[in-house]
Amino acid sequence: MPSAKFPIPQGTLDMLILRIVSLEPRHGYGIAQRLQQLSRDTVQVNQGSLYPALHRLEEKAWLRAEWRESETGREAKFYSLTAAGRKQLEVEKESWNRLSRAVQLIFADG
Amino acid sequence: MRLTNLLPGGRRRRERDLERELRYHLERRADELRADGLTEAEARRQATIEFGGIAQAQEEVRAVWKGQWIDTIARDVRYAARGLARRRGFTVAAVVSLALGIGATTAIFSLTDQLILRRLPVAQPDRLVQLAWMGNSLSASWGGGHLMSYPLCRELQAQATLFDGVFCRSPGTVNLSTGGEREPVRGEFVSGSYFSVLGVTPQIGRLIDRSDDTELGASPVVVLSHGYWKNQLGGTPNVIGRKVLIDHYPMTVIGVAPATFVGVDPLAPPALWIPATMVEQTSALERGWNRALDRRTAWLHVFARLAPNARLAEVKPPLQVWFRRMLEEDTRQADFPQVTAERREAFLASSIDVMPAGRGVSNLRLLLNQPLRVLMGGTLVLLLLASLNVGGLLLARGAARSGELATRMAMGASRRQLAGQLLVESTLLTAAGGALGVLVAPVLSTTVLSYLTYADDIGVSLDARALLFALLTTGIAAALCGLAPMFQMRRVSLQALLKQQSRSATAGGGLTLRKALVVAQMALTLVLLVSGGLFVQTLARLHANVGFDAGNLVVFSLAPPSLGYSEQRSEQTMRNVLRRVTEMPGVSSAAVANTLMLSGGWSTRPLTIQSDARVVSERPVPFMRVTPGFFSALGARVKTGRDFDSRDVRAAGTEPRPWRTAIVNESFARRYFGGRNPVGYRIGVGDQPDVVANIEIIGMVSDFSRRSLRDTEIEQVFFPYWDRDADDGAFYVRVRGTTESTFAAIRAAVREVDAELTVGSLRMYREQIDRAAWTERALATLASGFAVIALVLSVVGVYGLMSFIVTQRRREIGLRLALGSTRAGAVRLILWDAVLMVAIGVAIALPSVWALRRLVETQLFGVSALDVPTLVGPAVALALVALLAALGPALRAALANPTEALRLE
Repeated sequence: MPSAKFPIPQGTLDMLILRIVSLEPRHGYGIAQRLQQLSRDTVQVNQGSLYPALHRLEEKAWLRAEWRESETGREAKFYSLTAAGRKQLEVEKESWNRLSRAVQLIFADG
Repeated sequence: MRLTNLLPGGRRRRERDLERELRYHLERRADELRADGLTEAEARRQATIEFGGIAQAQEEVRAVWKGQWIDTIARDVRYAARGLARRRGFTVAAVVSLALGIGATTAIFSLTDQLILRRLPVAQPDRLVQLAWMGNSLSASWGGGHLMSYPLCRELQAQATLFDGVFCRSPGTVNLSTGGEREPVRGEFVSGSYFSVLGVTPQIGRLIDRSDDTELGASPVVVLSHGYWKNQLGGTPNVIGRKVLIDHYPMTVIGVAPATFVGVDPLAPPALWIPATMVEQTSALERGWNRALDRRTAWLHVFARLAPNARLAEVKPPLQVWFRRMLEEDTRQADFPQVTAERREAFLASSIDVMPAGRGVSNLRLLLNQPLRVLMGGTLVLLLLASLNVGGLLLARGAARSGELATRMAMGASRRQLAGQLLVESTLLTAAGGALGVLVAPVLSTTVLSYLTYADDIGVSLDARALLFALLTTGIAAALCGLAPMFQMRRVSLQALLKQQSRSATAGGGLTLRKALVVAQMALTLVLLVSGGLFVQTLARLHANVGFDAGNLVVFSLAPPSLGYSEQRSEQTMRNVLRRVTEMPGVSSAAVANTLMLSGGWSTRPLTIQSDARVVSERPVPFMRVTPGFFSALGARVKTGRDFDSRDVRAAGTEPRPWRTAIVNESFARRYFGGRNPVGYRIGVGDQPDVVANIEIIGMVSDFSRRSLRDTEIEQVFFPYWDRDADDGAFYVRVRGTTESTFAAIRAAVREVDAELTVGSLRMYREQIDRAAWTERALATLASGFAVIALVLSVVGVYGLMSFIVTQRRREIGLRLALGSTRAGAVRLILWDAVLMVAIGVAIALPSVWALRRLVETQLFGVSALDVPTLVGPAVALALVALLAALGPALRAALANPTEALRLE
C-alpha cells in the first residue's frame, strides 16, 4: 500500500517508537499499526525500516525485548522502554518541542 | 558489549530470532488481509509487498548489530581506561606483575626456540642425520659427543647408495694471524664433502671441496666465515689468495662462506673452516698431535644426508650390515690392538646409530637444554601466579564496586554488558602488561643467557615466533584474569546487591573463588620455594665438593710454545717462571700442573695395576702431571706415603724420561686396592699384555674435584710434571695479601722472565669454581628470585583476602565479643581461615613437587628432589609468612570496639 504520503526522518522514527512503546510493551507489528493510527495515516513508515530502528534502540539499551505470547496466542517479540529509554524520550520530546516552536515562529513571522 | 556475538551459537540464535520476528509481522498482516477477503496466496503476496524488502531489512538489522558492537567495545574500552587511570596504584601493580610474567616467559621461550629448537639454516635440514658408534670402539677420544675416526669417515663416504653424501667435522680453537696480532678463533676442521653435502655455495672465491681432502697436510687452505670477513677484514674482495698464519702454519684464504651459514653448531659459529687433512699442522686438538689417520683415534662428528625418498628407518639395516662387516675385517687387521677376548667381544657387539640431526650438534645446547626447561616451568608458574593475583584484585574490586554495578543494573544495563566491561578491563590490563613484557623480554633473555653461560657471542632476538608466543600468553593471562570476575558476575542478583549495598558489607559471591585463588597461589609459591631451595643446596654441595680450601689460591696458565719456542726453551721458561713466582713475597707455595682444573676436560689412560695380581683398570684413569708442592699449594692432604720431591724433578737440560713414580688418590686406592695402603705397589701405562708395571706408587692423596664440581668417587693418578712434556701448563699459587696486588706482582714476575709471554686465565681459584658452577649458580639465583617474587605475590594475595574477610565479618566478630568471646578467640576465628588455606595449598603442592621431580633431578647434585628438610622448611616458612600476613587484619578485627562494629548496621 505504498503512496506519496509524508516520509519520516530517522531520528523522528526513533522518537515515535520510544513514545509508542512508553505506553505499553508492543511487538513490531503492533508498533507499525499504532504508528499509522496515531498519525491518522498521515505518515508512511516503510515497515522494513522499522526493524533496524528497533534493533538499534535495543542495542542502545533504550529498549529491552522479550518473547511472550501475543493477543493471537503466538509468540512475539515485545519491546518495552528501559529507564535509559525513558530518559531519552524526555530529552527528545524537549528538543522536538523547542525545534517545532522555533519553526512555527519563523513561519509566523514570514 | 554482546559477548554472544563472538560465539557462533549466539550469532545463530540472533538470526533465528530475527527471522521469527519478521515472520510474525508478515503472518499477522496476512491474517488481517485474509479477514478482509483476500485468498491465502494473495494475502501473503500483499503482506510481503507492503513490508518492502525482507532481505534488505535483515541486512540493515545485521549492520546495526555489527556497528553497535564496535561502538560498544569502543565505549567499554574508554570506560575501562578511565577507571584504570583513576586507580593508578592498582593498575601499576597489575600491569607490572603481568609484564614480568609475560616478559619472562617470552624471554625463556625465545631462548629455547632459537638456541634449542631451531634447525640449521641449510637446504632441507630435516634430511640431515648424525652417525654414531654405539658401544666400545676401543678408541681414544678427542672432543665430546659421538666421535669417529677419520679413516672410518672416509669409508662411510664411500657408501654412496645409502646416503646423498657423508661429511665429518671437528671443532677446535686455533690462533689466527692475518698480518698483525695473533688471536684465538673458533675453527672447524671439515671433510671435503662438508660444504657440498650441506648445500652451501660461496659468497666469494671457492669453498673447501674434495680436492682438499686427498692427502694429509697437502691442502693449506682456509675458508673464512662471512662474519669474520666483514667485521675483522672489512669485507674486502681481495682477501682471496691472502696468506694467513694458523698456529704459525701458513695457509691461503680461498673463499668466504655466505652470511646465512654458520656451521653445524649454531651456538658456536666458527670464524674459519680448515680441511680436516690439515689438523696436524695446528694445535687445535693438542700440540704435536699426529693421529689424524689412526683408526683408534676418534675426533670427528660424522653427518650424512638421507637420499631423496629414503626414510631413516630404511637406512639403518643395510648400514648395520656394512658396519658389522667392517668390524669383522678390522679385528683381522695386523694393527688391531691386542686386547682381552672380553673387550674384543664388546668391540664386535658395537652398532652404528642414525640420529636426526637437523639442528646440528652443540655441546652448549646440551648444557642449556635442561636449565631452560626448568626456567620455562618456573616462569610459567610465575605468570600463572601473577594472573591469579590480578584476577584476585579484580574480584576484590568487583566486590567493592558492587554498589556501582547494582545501580547500573537497575538503570537497565544487562548482566552480560557488565561482565563484558569487566572482561574489557582485564584485557586492557593484560594487553598493557603484554606490551611492556615484550619490551623487557630482550633484556631478560640477554640477562638469563649471561647467567646460564659465559659464551658471549651468541644472542637471541625477539622474532615473529616470540611475538606470537607473547600474544598467546597475553591472551591466556587475560582469560585467567577475566574469568574469575565474570564468573562472579553470573551469580550476582540485583536484589542481593542492592540489599547488601544498604548495609556495610559487600558482595560475598566471589569469596570462595578468591579463597581458591589464594590456595592456588600458596601451592605454586611452595613449588617455587622448594625448587629454589633444591638449587641453592645443589650449589652449596658443589662448593663443598671442591675438596680443598680454595681461599687464597691464585691460578694462571702459560703456553710458551705458542710463541714458537722449542720444547727445551719452553721448558726452561716454565722453570724460570716457577722459581720467580715461588720467590715472590706473599707467596707461601707454588706449583705447576699440566692443566687448569675444573675446565671440563681431562686426559685419561688405561693402566695396568700390579697389586696382588696383575689387573687392567676397569676404565681409563684420569691422570694429571704435577710438580712437587702441588698438593700443599692446593691444601689437599697426602694421606700416606710422600709427595713428589726433588728426587722426582728431572735436572734442567737433561733428556725427557719415562715416569718412575706416581701418586694416586683415595678413590683409586679404594677401587683397585680395596682400601689397603697402595704405597709401594707398581703400575704401568696401557692395557696391553706387554705393558711393564714399573711405576712405583709413592703416596696417596685425598680426593678433590678435577674436571668438574660434580666429580665424585673418581679415581685419579698423578705423575711428576718435569719428567717430560713440561713446556706448558697451569700455575697454582697459594698467596697472602690482596687480589689486586698479587695479580700485578704475578704479571710483573712473568714479564721479567719473558716480556713476550701472555698470562692466561689469571684469577682466584674461587672464580674458577664459580665458572664451573655457572649454570647451577644461575639456576639457584633465578629460582630463588622466582620464589621470592612468588612469596611477595602470595603475601599480597593473603593480606588482601584476609582484610576483605575481616571487613565482611566485622559485625559477627563484634557480636561475639559483646557476647563474651575473648579477643584471642576472635583472632583464632579469623586465622583459622588462613590456616586452612595454607594447609590445602601445601597439600596440593607436595604431590606436585613429586610429579615435577624429573624436570629438576638432572640439575641437582648431592640432594634428592624429595629431600625432606627442603620440602618441610619452605612449607613451614610459607605457613609462617602467610599467617603473619593474616595476623594484621585479624588483630584489627579483634581490637575493634564491639559497640562500634555493631553500630555499623
